[in-house]
Amino acid sequence: MSTAGTSAAGVSSERVGIIGIGQSQFTARRDDASYPDLVREAVVLAMNDADLLFDDIQAVVYSLSPDAMVGIGNAERLGVDAVGARNKRFLRINTGGATGISSVAAAYYHVASGACEVVLTAGADKVGECGDSQTVLNKIWDPTYERQLPLGTINMLAMSAVRYMNFYGLTEEDMARVTVKNRWHASLNPNAHLRRVVTIDDVFASRYIAWPMKLLDCCPQSSGGGAMVLASERFIRERNLDAVWITGLAHCSETYWLGDRMGNNPTADHADAFALGRSFQRAYKMAGITDPGSQVHVAELYAPFSNTEYHAIDAAGFCKPGESIALLREGQFELGGRLPVNPSGGTLCTNAIAVTGMIRVAEVALQVWGRAGAHQVKGARVGIASGNGGDHQFFGTMVIEA
Amino acid sequence: MPYNVQPGVIGCAIRPAIADRDRSLEEVIYDTTQQGLADAGIAIDDIDGIIVGCNDQLDGRAISVMMASGAVGGVDRDILSTPSGSEHAFILGALRVASGQFRTQLVVAWSPTEAGSIPEAERLATDPYFHRRLPLDELSANALQAAVLEHAVQGLRDVAATVLEKNRRHGALAYPDPPSRPAPGVARWPLAAGTTTRPVTGCVALVLATADFIAERGIVDVAWIRGMGWATEPSFLGDRDLGTAPALRAAAQQAYAEAGITDPIAQLDVVEITDATPYAELLAYEALGLCARQDWAARVGDGTFTREGRLPVNLSGGVQTFNPVFCTGLIRVAEIADQVRGHAGAHQHKNVRNGLAQAGSGFAMQYQAAIVLGREQGALA
Amino acid sequence: MELMSRQETWNITYTHALGETASWFYGQIRDNAKLYGRRCAQSGRVLVPPRSFSDQTLQPTTEWVEVGPGGRIETFTIVYEQFQNLPDPPYAFGYVLLDGADTALGGYFKGVDLTDPAKAAEKLKIGTRIVTRFAEQRTGDVLDFWYEVA
Repeated sequence: MSTAGTSAAGVSSERVGIIGIGQSQFTARRDDASYPDLVREAVVLAMNDADLLFDDIQAVVYSLSPDAMVGIGNAERLGVDAVGARNKRFLRINTGGATGISSVAAAYYHVASGACEVVLTAGADKVGECGDSQTVLNKIWDPTYERQLPLGTINMLAMSAVRYMNFYGLTEEDMARVTVKNRWHASLNPNAHLRRVVTIDDVFASRYIAWPMKLLDCCPQSSGGGAMVLASERFIRERNLDAVWITGLAHCSETYWLGDRMGNNPTADHADAFALGRSFQRAYKMAGITDPGSQVHVAELYAPFSNTEYHAIDAAGFCKPGESIALLREGQFELGGRLPVNPSGGTLCTNAIAVTGMIRVAEVALQVWGRAGAHQVKGARVGIASGNGGDHQFFGTMVIEA
Repeated sequence: MPYNVQPGVIGCAIRPAIADRDRSLEEVIYDTTQQGLADAGIAIDDIDGIIVGCNDQLDGRAISVMMASGAVGGVDRDILSTPSGSEHAFILGALRVASGQFRTQLVVAWSPTEAGSIPEAERLATDPYFHRRLPLDELSANALQAAVLEHAVQGLRDVAATVLEKNRRHGALAYPDPPSRPAPGVARWPLAAGTTTRPVTGCVALVLATADFIAERGIVDVAWIRGMGWATEPSFLGDRDLGTAPALRAAAQQAYAEAGITDPIAQLDVVEITDATPYAELLAYEALGLCARQDWAARVGDGTFTREGRLPVNLSGGVQTFNPVFCTGLIRVAEIADQVRGHAGAHQHKNVRNGLAQAGSGFAMQYQAAIVLGREQGALA
Repeated sequence: MELMSRQETWNITYTHALGETASWFYGQIRDNAKLYGRRCAQSGRVLVPPRSFSDQTLQPTTEWVEVGPGGRIETFTIVYEQFQNLPDPPYAFGYVLLDGADTALGGYFKGVDLTDPAKAAEKLKIGTRIVTRFAEQRTGDVLDFWYEVA
C-alpha cells in the first residue's frame, strides 16, 4: 500500500497522521455537563493523548449535525471556547450522520493543503435532550413532497430492510444476529453506551418499532463527545510523535429522493448503499487497496440499525451484495473472525450523532495502533471506517494504516 | 504561500432571487449552479468535489445540504457542507484544491427568506443556559457593538452615515434596482432608521480549479488565491471587547503573510467588506490595517474608500445593497473574484490586480475571514 | 448537588415556496384527482413526484406525463411506535411505482389490518399491485391520496 499519496493532480504530498484521540464514555444523559462541557471533555482527552498544548493547534474543525438535536442554533459558536479556537481558524461541518467522518476529512484537507501542521476536530451531542430525535429527523425531508409523510430515519431504513429482504433473503433473525454480535463487542468497550449482552430471543421479544425493525435492532440516543488531533508527517517526524495514517479518504452521495432509489432501474437502490460503495472504491484507490477482503483487517462501518450493517459490508467490498448474510452467520465479522466489523459495538450500541462518524475513525485508528484494549483485533494494521448521513445520502469513508 | 497547489477562481454567479415563488429554493440553487458553471465555461462532469454553505435554521430544513445536493450536482460526487459561514465553504473548497487531490471544486451557498422571522431564527443561536431569554438577535448584537464604538470614538455616528451613503451610492451603480431596501423604523439604538437593510433571498456559486486544469482548458480570467485567513471570536459577547476585532486581525495577518502583503493600502486595488452595519465596516478598516480609528473620520471624509478614491471598498454596494443574510460572506469573495477577473459588470473597477474580501458573520461578527485574490499566480512579494 | 434544567421550545413557522412545477402537480391533485410526473428528455425517465430538473442528468425536465392510478409497491413499513408530532400508530406507508412512472411516490397504505405485523407485511410485500384512492375533500397535498391493495 502507498506510503505517500499521489494526488489526482499528480502532486506528491506528505501523509496526514492521527496523533491524538479522545472520546467520552457514552450514556443516555449527561445532566452533569452542559453541551460545551461535553465537547471540552473529549478535547481534553485528545489533547492529553497527543501530549500537545493548545498553542500547537492551528485550526479547529467543529463536528455537529443538525442544530435542533442539541436545541441550539449554530451551536458550534457556543463550542468555540471548549475547543480553544479563540482567534484561530475555525469552521463547522454538517453532513448529518456522516458529520463526524466528514469533519475528520475536513481536518485532513487543512493539513494536506499545506495550510496547517496540526488540526483539532471535535464535537459532542446530547441527543437525549431533544425530546424525540425522530421529530427533528422528520424535518430532514423536503417540505414539498416527502415531509408530509411520517418519515423518520427509523422508518426510512426499515424500508431499506424490506427491499434487502426482497432481493437477498434477509430475515429478522439475520438482523438479530447483528445486534447480538455488536452488543457482545460493546460489552468489551468501556466507552460504548449499550453494553448488555443480548440473545436472539431477547431481540425477538422486543417490541416492533417499524416493521421489520424491533427495539433491539435500533441504536440508542447517546450523549458524549469525541475529538481527534491530526498532523502533518513533517510535524510528526520533527516532534518524534507516535501516529497512525490516513491513507485513503473520499465522500460520495446519492439522490435525496427516496422514491428515486426504487422503481425502474435506479442508479442507487434503497436496498443497498450505492454511494457508500463508490466512496469506498475511491478511498481504496487512493490507499492502493485492490482486494479489501484480504487487505483490510478491521472495519468500523456506520450502521445505526441492524439491517444496515449488511449493505455496509457489501459496499465495503468484502463480498458480493447479499453474501454478507451468510458470512456473518458463519461468524466471519465478529471478534476472532476473519474480518471483525464494528468491534467497538458500533453505531448500533452508541449513537451521539454529531460524533458517531468520528468515533468510527477513532476506533479504527486505535485498532491499527494496537490500543483498542479488550476489543482489540489482533495484528490489525489496516482498517476502514465509514459514516452515513442525510436520508442515507452522504457517505464518507477512510482507510487508516499503522 | 503554504499551499501544495495554488487554487484559482474561474467562475462566479451571484443571484439575487427576488421574484420568489415561481422557483423553489432547490430550483434557485440549481439555476445558480448552472450559471456558475457556465461562467467558468465548464460542465458539471468537470467538477470533482463540492462544498456548500447553508444554515438549517434559516432554511427551515434539518441538514439542509440534503435538499440541495442534487441541485448542485452532488449525486455521485464528493460533497461536504458547512453551516458555520458561507465563506467557510469557500475556504474548505480552496483547501481541497490546494491539497492537490481535486482538480476542481464547486462552492455554493444560499440564504432564503422563508422563515416567518429571521431574527427569531437567529435567536435560537443563543445558548439556552444564560442568554436565550434575552432579546438577542444579530441586529441587537450589531447594535451593542455600535454602541461600544460610539462610546470609544467621538463623532462616529456622522462617519457611519457617510460610509452608509457611500455603499448605497456604489450599490446604485452595481444594481440599478437594489435587491435590498433600507429597513424602516428605528432598528436598535444606536442604529438609526434606515441604517440596515431588509434580508432578501440570494444564492451564490463559485468554481475553483488547479493551475493544471486552468492551463489545460486555456482559461484566462482567473482570480488566484494569494492568501487566506480565518478566525473566530469567543462565544459569549460578554467575553469580548466589542470595540475591537481581534479575530479579524488574526485572519488578516494569516492572509497577508501568505500573500506577501505588507502595505495593504498600496498593494490592494479593491476591497469588499461585510457591512452588516457601517460600524462593522469601520471596525474592519482598522483590523485589516486599512485605517486606524483615529483616522476614520479623515479617510472617510476625504473619500479614500469611495469608487473615485485610492482604495474603493464595496463597489458592489455591500450588504447595504444586497442582504441575503447567510451568504453575504461568500458574495464578498465572489465580488472580488469578479473584479479581479474583469467580470464585475457595471461596477467593474479599472486595472484591478489584487483585491481583498472580508467576510464576517454571527453575533457582532464572531466569525471573520480575509481572502486575497489576484490576477497573477504566486504571492505578491 | 441539585442539577437543574431549563425547557426550551423551537417555534418558527416557515413558508416554503413550492415553485411552478410542484404547484402545478398539487393543483392537478386538488382540482382533478390526477397524478403527473415530469419526463427528463435526456434519459427518457418519468420522475414522480415531478421535478423541474433531473438530479442525474442535471437537465431541465420537459414534459408532463399522467401516471397511475394503478401501481406496484416498491417498499413499505408498518409503524407501531409513537413518535412526537407524528401520527398515532399503527400505520403503514411506503413507496409505489405508479403505472407510467420510473420513480416511486410516497403515500399511506390503507385498508390493511395491521394488528399482526407478519400478516400485514405479507399483504404489502414488494410487487403487490395497488390502486390510488383520492379524498373527497382535497387541499393539494400528498395526503389527498393513499394506496389500497388492488
